[in-house]
Amino acid sequence: MNGAGRRPRPISSRSSSGETVIELRGVSTTYEGERTPALHGIDMSVRRGEFVAIVGPNGAGKTTLLEVVLGLLPLSSGRGSVLGCDLARERYAIRRRMGYVIQNFELDPLAPFLARDVVMMGFAGSLGPLRYPSVHDREAAVEALSRVGMSMMADRPAGKLSGGEFQRLLLARALATDPDIILLDEPFANLDASARASVGSVVDRVNQAGATVLMVSHDLHAIPSRCARAVLMDRGRIVLDGTMEAVLSSREIDELYGGCCH
Amino acid sequence: MWLPPALMITAVAGAVLAGFTCSVMGVFVVRMNLSSIGFAMSHAAFAGAAFGIMIGSDPLPMALLASFLVALVIGPVSHIAGLRPEIVLGFLFSLLIALGFLFLHMVPGEATSGAALRILWGSIFGVSRYEVVALGALSAVVVVFVALFNKEIAAMMFHRKLAEASGIDTQAFLTAILFMTGFSVALSLKLVGGLLVYALMINPTSTVYQFTFDFRKMVIGSPIIGMTTCLAGFWASLLWDLPVGTAIVLVSAIVLAGAIVASPKRRRG
Repeated sequence: MNGAGRRPRPISSRSSSGETVIELRGVSTTYEGERTPALHGIDMSVRRGEFVAIVGPNGAGKTTLLEVVLGLLPLSSGRGSVLGCDLARERYAIRRRMGYVIQNFELDPLAPFLARDVVMMGFAGSLGPLRYPSVHDREAAVEALSRVGMSMMADRPAGKLSGGEFQRLLLARALATDPDIILLDEPFANLDASARASVGSVVDRVNQAGATVLMVSHDLHAIPSRCARAVLMDRGRIVLDGTMEAVLSSREIDELYGGCCH
Repeated sequence: MWLPPALMITAVAGAVLAGFTCSVMGVFVVRMNLSSIGFAMSHAAFAGAAFGIMIGSDPLPMALLASFLVALVIGPVSHIAGLRPEIVLGFLFSLLIALGFLFLHMVPGEATSGAALRILWGSIFGVSRYEVVALGALSAVVVVFVALFNKEIAAMMFHRKLAEASGIDTQAFLTAILFMTGFSVALSLKLVGGLLVYALMINPTSTVYQFTFDFRKMVIGSPIIGMTTCLAGFWASLLWDLPVGTAIVLVSAIVLAGAIVASPKRRRG
């Protein structure tokens, strides 16, 4: 079906305006110690304010793509820029302007971190060494907790939160610094329906407020309604890139998801 | 037991400062899952000190050198051998202990056997004034490091990849932490001995861990417990004529066991 070396099929024009904030051209990356590239020749542009879902089966390279955009993985070929900064040379400058919600992980229930401390950690990178959070930063952290509906849980141990609460806490951490781009890696994994709806509505509001959102999701049904564009990946390549409706109704997605996405 | 005041002051200062530095570094080592690396570094310090005694040199620089070498080679060795770092560390534990004993076995003459035993079992009265001064300087460096970079350290302790993704150069901080851990281990070697020194890092941190969800309280509480148990162990060794290192480790282990039993965190919802 989607043979190696094939270019992604553009399936409809996108309504996007504003400057390009993510630009990848022929990007490939290979994990240390591996021979096969995890991403092959990725071409992708994202404009300011877009909400893009990156979908595909397990092992498609969705998380790897986010890690490349964050500058966590080196490019073995191609070039890329994020927010006008070169991916190869200005990784730390890029990271300080992005919010990242990592795939849900198990935190030790006895871990010595209160929820409000976790949100304040969002400032550790953006402030840089030898600078400390201001009163304004602390207010922004309180505001971020409020945006995800967790104001009352600021003093609760992070390890004692439920899966949905912890996911919203990580989202608050990413939002606290008011980043230009938010990267979400499987934000709905292991969440029940009400927690999904809660996290989804927060992400919707964040995008409505102007932030560019890139969201990796294996689960097509969980993608929030505001998301207008989808990028379908398989085996480290972009297979389709177009509107949400067009990607969801495509032949390729039926093949990759075994026809269970409709 | 009557001891000259100068000797007592040096011994007490050594116990307090070793308890301080090891237990502060222990907070980072435990939370960042660096226990295996720290453990290997303490074994390396033991082997290095033994080598120093064997060649008739000062054991301290050799202990430092050996622990840093281990920290530096773990990554490349695991990469070249295609093995996970834990496997390489497991191999290094036994190799370093074997080398340490080999070097001690090869120490020439009877006169140096006391020095060899001191690094094996620890001898608080063998701690010199310059070692106490070095421990004091290291304590000051650790305090400044934590005061200046607490937000970066806390972020790394929560989740290293998230910290890296937020713009923190985690490798630089990790290297600094490993170097300070190596210094703490090597300088505390004479206090409790090469086989027990690692307990000075793990036990106080694990004790405080049972009582607080606040990272700041851990960083403050761990050295308080570390210094207190070192002093209590020292006092117990004088009282019951026990080896100092053994007494310190036993006291800290008893305190940790009590903390686990009494831990309110395990009951809190």
